[in-house]
Amino acid sequence: MRVYVGMSGGVDSSLAAALLVEQGYDVTGVYMKNWSQDLPGMRCPWAEDLADAKRVAVQLGIDFKVYDFEADYKQRVVDYMIDEYQAGRTPNPDIMCNQEIKFALFLSTALADGADMIATGHYARTADGRLMMAVDANKDQTYFLYRVSSAALQKTLFPLGEYTKTQVRSMAVERGLYTAAKKESMGVCFVGSVGMREFLGQYVVTKPGDIIDRATGAAIGRHDGAIFYTLGQRHGLDVGGGLPYYVVGKDMKKNIVCVTTKLTDSAIWLTQLSLSQPHWINEQQFNGECLVRLRHRAPLVQATVTAVDDMLHITLAEPQRAATPGQSAVVYLDGCCLGGGIIT
Amino acid sequence: MKQPYYYLDHAAATPLDDRVVTAMQPYLQDDFFNPSGPYAPAVEVRRDYESAKHRLAICIGAKLDEIVITAGATESINLMIHSTGGHIVTTAIEHHAVLEAVAQREHTLVAVGPSGVVRSADVRAAITPKTQLVSIALANNEIGTVQPMREIGEIVRAERARRIEAGEAAPIYFHSDASQGAGQLDINVARLGLDALTLNAGKMYGPKQVGLLWVASRIELIPLVVGGGQERGLRSGTENVAGVVGFATALELVCQRRKSESVRLGGLRDYLQQRLCDVFPDAVVTGSYKKRLAGHLHISFPGIDAERLVFALESRQVLVATGSACAANYGTRSHVLTALGVAPDIADGSLRITLGHLNDDTNIREAADILVEVIGNEYRRVGR
Repeated sequence: MRVYVGMSGGVDSSLAAALLVEQGYDVTGVYMKNWSQDLPGMRCPWAEDLADAKRVAVQLGIDFKVYDFEADYKQRVVDYMIDEYQAGRTPNPDIMCNQEIKFALFLSTALADGADMIATGHYARTADGRLMMAVDANKDQTYFLYRVSSAALQKTLFPLGEYTKTQVRSMAVERGLYTAAKKESMGVCFVGSVGMREFLGQYVVTKPGDIIDRATGAAIGRHDGAIFYTLGQRHGLDVGGGLPYYVVGKDMKKNIVCVTTKLTDSAIWLTQLSLSQPHWINEQQFNGECLVRLRHRAPLVQATVTAVDDMLHITLAEPQRAATPGQSAVVYLDGCCLGGGIIT
Repeated sequence: MKQPYYYLDHAAATPLDDRVVTAMQPYLQDDFFNPSGPYAPAVEVRRDYESAKHRLAICIGAKLDEIVITAGATESINLMIHSTGGHIVTTAIEHHAVLEAVAQREHTLVAVGPSGVVRSADVRAAITPKTQLVSIALANNEIGTVQPMREIGEIVRAERARRIEAGEAAPIYFHSDASQGAGQLDINVARLGLDALTLNAGKMYGPKQVGLLWVASRIELIPLVVGGGQERGLRSGTENVAGVVGFATALELVCQRRKSESVRLGGLRDYLQQRLCDVFPDAVVTGSYKKRLAGHLHISFPGIDAERLVFALESRQVLVATGSACAANYGTRSHVLTALGVAPDIADGSLRITLGHLNDDTNIREAADILVEVIGNEYRRVGR
């Protein structure tokens, strides 16, 4: 059985590759070169990451390849993300990367290259083409994987799904993997530590506009581009004094950001959600009681899903804070990730 | 140096000699004064600085006031080329510092054959009446081949004589970057037949970011860095006293040891080459065997990915450079190997082994054992 494992140069995918070798698979490591552009204040570390991935492949004595997906990644992930921000939403590029690159382009390229299966270092499990939550509930990454197809999952191994992050670290140390002590990368990989604001600033022209207090209708400050603000956001609002303000809405056309000091504002706490672009991994359709997650690592909340035409309506048992348009609501039942949709 | 490293990359960087560190030490703290200062301690630092430059000049057979201190060979090369008009002749295997500096200028790259040694006749053929500079490195930094400097120097002189005879005004000069060969080859500017010379302290057990450009007094330099007028106005910025004192000490030391060190490194290199070629009969050594730096071995294992070897070797404490590509610049191979017509699979399988102070008999024997084992493992892994 020939398995092509995506190796990012991080500890997770390194251990995933090591475990596959130990399990007797014929393993080839693949570094997906998706992004290599530096940003002001942040050097893209892709070359070091590639070298680290290759170091581990050499340690494991496995073949190693580089797939250059930069053009596709830019088109299918980055451009999508920028478009969404410009439309006033807060997209999730990691979900798009899994849907378009890792479990589509990588899979098809690997299969064409002679692979029987692919593998990644995600914290998730599969069973008969179904997507199951990882044993480590805190690390579980199924939120990012809900738009993957069942066919792709049938061709995918997640060697880390049974382990906790702590176990993964110590297993990597035990094996002396080169990347065992490597620092975790945070945030959207290509945006990194500089933040989305600086990244978007490279691609879109933004105009300053008013920050409006919804309660009084008064302009209480200026913002440097409505696209930078996300529903529920508290920090980074350059309005001084008094109680903290929260973003409760924005009007892209008028280029205004609305805020409130009322943390209980009904615009922040929602019980009813509408989802577009529903995706179900196995089911044709799902209706009924389930658990829903609104952000990676957010708690699972009781909910009812109703499908109406090509939309999903979700009624949450308790109001949740900052269900942000563009982000995903992901549906779970009995530890299985069924699918979900994009919050409108 | 802390063992147990087997450091086989002296062409990339060298550690400071203890005596260099000792010589530099006073100028880092006690004698930190700006050499331009008016008070006695500063004047004394100025004197030490000039004396260090004088020592540098003596080592290369030049005069003190013909030397400009720079922040390394790249700057020296840029200063030289910046100061030159007309057409420039150089080779296809020069360092990027030269190639990038001449890129926007009218120039000719002399082709170099598989030996890696430039034919002086080809240099002669490339010189036109408009040529004002011939710049050729004494020894190639990748494959270690040594160029026929005296022959080329003769050609440049003959062209100069012809121009004088013909009443042509355009000058022509011969510049060489000798950074790579200084520890193993004669670098006397008169014997090499040079009009200009670049050296780099960092390749000879001195500090990094310190170099010099020597030019014969008839050459007028045009500064790249202007300001306070230091270095006779040719390179402004407060003098790097510690660096230059370290540079002078380092150059004196390598000059003293040059002959014995060349013999010693040649012996170690030949042993390594023999051993690797015996065990791996399809190994390919690139560049002339004879006209090559004593400590330099560019060896390829066709069909093997050299970067894998580097990673496998580093985990066994053997530090060595690839001879060409790495996965991060996939598809771009060394311009030197490409110029020599080295086939892609040979280029991709090549290691650059460069020996120096950190190597001795035992060290190289042990390194050879590890090389044989690691390269053998990789051959077995790919099924050869």
